[in-house]
Amino acid sequence: MTDASTIRNEAAGITLTGPLAGTRGIVLTQAWAGSYCTALLGMLGADVIQVEVRKRPDSWRGDYAAPIGGRIKDVETAVHPWNVNPLYNSVNLNKRCITLDLGTPEGIEIYRRLVPYSDFIAENFSPRVMGNFGLEYEALKAIKPDIILASLSAYGHIGSWANIPGIGGTIEPTSGQSALLGYQDGPPMNSGQMYPDAVAAFNAFGAIIAALRHRDLTGEGQYIDLSMQDANLAMIGDSALEYVLTGRQRARLGNRHSTYAPHGIYAATGTERWIALATETDAQWAALCSIAGRGWAEDNRFVTNADRKANEDALDAEIAAWTATEDRDALSARLSAAGIYAAPVLDGLEVADDPHLRARGVVREVKHPEAGTWAQATIPLHFSRTPATDVRAAPMQGEHTRQVLAELLGMTDAEVDELERSGVSGMGPPD
Amino acid sequence: MARVLEGVRVVDLSASTGAAWCSRLLADYGADVVVVEPLGGHPLRAIGPFTDAGDSIPAAYLLANKRSVTLDLDDANARATAAALCRRADIVVSSHAPSRLAAWGLDYATLATPTLVMVHVTPHGMTGDLAEVPGNDLTDAARSGWASINGSQEREPLKPSGWQPSMCAGTVAYAGAVAALRWRDGHPGEGQEVDVSEVEVMAAAFAPALLRSVYAGKAQGRRDPTDHLAGPVPVQDGYFALTISRAHFWRDAMNLLGLPDLAEDPRWGASFYRQAHKDEYVGRVTEAMSQWTKMDLFDELAVRRVVAGPVLTMEELRGVEHLRERDFWRKPADQPDGPEYPGPALRMNGTPASLDRRPPRPGEHTAEVLDTVGGAS
Repeated sequence: MTDASTIRNEAAGITLTGPLAGTRGIVLTQAWAGSYCTALLGMLGADVIQVEVRKRPDSWRGDYAAPIGGRIKDVETAVHPWNVNPLYNSVNLNKRCITLDLGTPEGIEIYRRLVPYSDFIAENFSPRVMGNFGLEYEALKAIKPDIILASLSAYGHIGSWANIPGIGGTIEPTSGQSALLGYQDGPPMNSGQMYPDAVAAFNAFGAIIAALRHRDLTGEGQYIDLSMQDANLAMIGDSALEYVLTGRQRARLGNRHSTYAPHGIYAATGTERWIALATETDAQWAALCSIAGRGWAEDNRFVTNADRKANEDALDAEIAAWTATEDRDALSARLSAAGIYAAPVLDGLEVADDPHLRARGVVREVKHPEAGTWAQATIPLHFSRTPATDVRAAPMQGEHTRQVLAELLGMTDAEVDELERSGVSGMGPPD
Repeated sequence: MARVLEGVRVVDLSASTGAAWCSRLLADYGADVVVVEPLGGHPLRAIGPFTDAGDSIPAAYLLANKRSVTLDLDDANARATAAALCRRADIVVSSHAPSRLAAWGLDYATLATPTLVMVHVTPHGMTGDLAEVPGNDLTDAARSGWASINGSQEREPLKPSGWQPSMCAGTVAYAGAVAALRWRDGHPGEGQEVDVSEVEVMAAAFAPALLRSVYAGKAQGRRDPTDHLAGPVPVQDGYFALTISRAHFWRDAMNLLGLPDLAEDPRWGASFYRQAHKDEYVGRVTEAMSQWTKMDLFDELAVRRVVAGPVLTMEELRGVEHLRERDFWRKPADQPDGPEYPGPALRMNGTPASLDRRPPRPGEHTAEVLDTVGGAS
């Protein structure tokens, strides 16, 4: 247990801030779900050390030979594609990265020597992989009896689908999420990026913290088995319960609400300028009628919410005709000030510049040694007593191997040189 | 089995999905959660869909495992009772804007209990220019960037289904609540406030698209209609997603689909190459897929260890034996003849979640709970 929520590691040149300062995870995560779960723990102050295998690099670093594109190709320091992939760099903040070839006895042995320095371990391999490495929960527990291991996999480690592989884009359909997502008159869809990974990350994040509390109180570690299918189905659990209770599959609602109208996204003036607006209470509806000034309050199709819901196509057409002549941001501000649910639909660049998110520190500039300084989304949790204020860029591949092996295992430069010569560690594509 | 939050007292002042989900998770792991409802019932009880008996299904899901007290917070005596309940709690979960809590005298400063952990789940957070601005899942999707990438380029932006921003925020708030509780275990007397914004949680979940947009200097858009293979496509009996990530998935899937030229040319193994040459294969692949039924294709690809996803409905998911083997569907312990609820998001083997209580009727536990603080309803 720690005494302070700020810990300075002088040897590493880092400061760990937040309620988890004083804990450490030496993790085997990759892509999004596992990587992001452990980044969240890192942003709350845990010392998260990511282990990567050069022969099978993190898929979110991209292909070693991928071209560097966009604004990054003009950044002089950006020379290694795998260190400047926005996917990797977005979900690995506040970590150190070491490389070890877990396909070699030497690599496994070094990992086993690191386990005693871990409070938690997380991994998102296919279920058989940890066992193949000799690093399943029982083996890790033999090294450190109170270890916490979280496995994030497509379908979990027990059950007849356990060995079926999956990623966010395939869990979205198999969890029931895709059947619900889409336009009312259109087919099922996947989200614009692999949403199920974020769901898995958020859930495993909470579970590991709960397991840390239980360990502190009882001295007992535990094993956490997260199935991305379970997690994503639980997030639409009301739809699952609807089927159980009524035998009905919920229809795709597009932007509409199960109960209230209006509830939609409408075009404003300009290209790709959209406004989201909705009313729930009669007061909000009255305020909307007053601001629009189009006689809706007197229209007998729209008197009660039930009327509006029954005539929702007509209502949407009326609103769309109105917003088409309005400025997105000005109208959104007027509606919000009147207590109506309203917001501009922000795109990726606008979210990066959003004054509210910047003022609260959730979006901020992060300096990466190769990619340069750019806006990133950071930790969405604000603690009044133990603020998590330290944000560090995603690590470059193998950036901290020498530092971590010296700090935790007392390895000398000569010993690490030998690991690099033999290919057990190092940086970049293997020879 | 141990319960990780055994003995933890929670007061749920939620009026919305996110905060209600946070306290539902606390309840699932052993906390004693009392939800404070207005006399007319929790606002979620007005949200459909409803059972044939007229009960809100979202409310049933989100209020299960809790006890219910009804209190009219517009009444001074009831507010005093609510404050007393909050002061003896370990955790208070709220969804209210700062001004509302202050008007009720239920804000952290007025409660003035240094040991208390108070968790806020609101659309925009408790500070900043938008703190008092109302919002819901639709506006959360808009402000976080998610609506801008969901859906088709040819259509309007699309919000996530259901209450995803709220559910994600509730999950993150649960993590924050437990982190603050753990801090207090180690530092007696040191409670604190935990402030979670739905927009910010979804902006954090949007982080990959955000940084991709920033690095590119061009916002990521919605699906190009030619980009069929980024999501489900029609097959014989429904829809199927073949969202390939690694090179060997591609090779094995193309061989199964009878497209050996696409399988064996190594250029197609790299995702950046596939992305740049979609026109050359998307039509052929979707045509080949359309010959299959979804579970046959899933089974054959599973044997080859290729990631693949049939679009499953709730009826189909209820029939998936794998979920039963994982004990995913659970009846409340106090309602053994009742309906099966969808289960926990994950399995904590040392401290598993449990569903002890069916959802309460409004005020069902008012008398027994208020006895403990000597208050009146």
